[in-house]
Amino acid sequence: MREIARDLLESGQVNLVIGYGRGTGILRTTPVFIRKPSDAGQLVYNPLCGNNLVKYLLDQRNKEGRAAVCVKGCDSRAVNRLIQDRQIDREKVYIIGLPCGGILDPDRVEGAVDPGEEIKETVISGEGYDLITAAGKYSFTMAGAGSEKCSTCQNHNPVVYDVMAGDPSDTPDIKDDGFDDVRKIEEMTVEQKSAYWDRQFSRCLRCYACRNSCTACSCRECVFDQVNTGWVSRSSNLSENTAFHLIRAFHVAGRCVDCGECERVCPVGIPLRVLNRKILMDLKDLFNTATPGLTPDGERVLGQFSADDPEEFM
Amino acid sequence: MFKRLLEFVGFEPGRLSARWISGSEGAKFAATAQKITDHTRALGPNTKMRDEN
Repeated sequence: MREIARDLLESGQVNLVIGYGRGTGILRTTPVFIRKPSDAGQLVYNPLCGNNLVKYLLDQRNKEGRAAVCVKGCDSRAVNRLIQDRQIDREKVYIIGLPCGGILDPDRVEGAVDPGEEIKETVISGEGYDLITAAGKYSFTMAGAGSEKCSTCQNHNPVVYDVMAGDPSDTPDIKDDGFDDVRKIEEMTVEQKSAYWDRQFSRCLRCYACRNSCTACSCRECVFDQVNTGWVSRSSNLSENTAFHLIRAFHVAGRCVDCGECERVCPVGIPLRVLNRKILMDLKDLFNTATPGLTPDGERVLGQFSADDPEEFM
Repeated sequence: MFKRLLEFVGFEPGRLSARWISGSEGAKFAATAQKITDHTRALGPNTKMRDEN
């Protein structure tokens, strides 16, 4: 990955490489923006690289030159989606594909390793990873410490890329997602569902991290940035928070690639992904569609008309 | 889709209704409005997403 980045910058093919760098402590990695070939050594890739970096391509929309971005399988679907929406120009993006056997959840790794340590090497071992540090070897399994979203991963390798950094992952993709997380909530009674979501939405700080990290949230001006529109407001109370979360989830319906970034960045741990997955499940159910972004020329499920559409409102 | 989302977060089924009715379908409009009114009365007052400001 470092060699690829160095070569790309040296040859002038790109003027920016967006990748992962060391964060504060072993549990975190942080996005880095490499402009000089000599800085390519700052790039890292390990099972704690959770961020979807594709959002940063939107900042490059109106800039000169070509930017390279590092993407995992889930993130790569977002690149396809942004190209379909003509938010980014394929010619202006160079995609460095990263194989991924699943990402570890920092919250589930925390406590097992000294946060001051630094990962020297990552070894894929059976059903998980061995993180090698100066203090020794820490072993984690995906079942025990993996991110929940990875348990239903359908793309362990990017669906679109210009070059792959390393050999493709041979972790089997999940073909039939049972949406167990969604079904678990659907089985609740109306009152239980209402109480469950009231408990979740009432904790929202309205920090908008979910929106800011979302590749499908690409509006230049968001309705939730306006102080008072008359119909939604920025007040942080249960009603307004509920309105915000329903509008956020519905606004990305049919464009959400299920990368789980909204839920990962939420500081209060609201299960946002399951809202998006409820919509995704219904889209698959009603329109027999694939997860958005799987192919470069995928259909826009809610952006087209078909005479065969189910018409529950007629 | 949105109706299903509302019911997923705990709105009662039928709290939101949407129907396409043409201007020439007066009788259908009246019947639908009556049906929705009766259903909403049966559900009682809405407690979710009230104006709290």
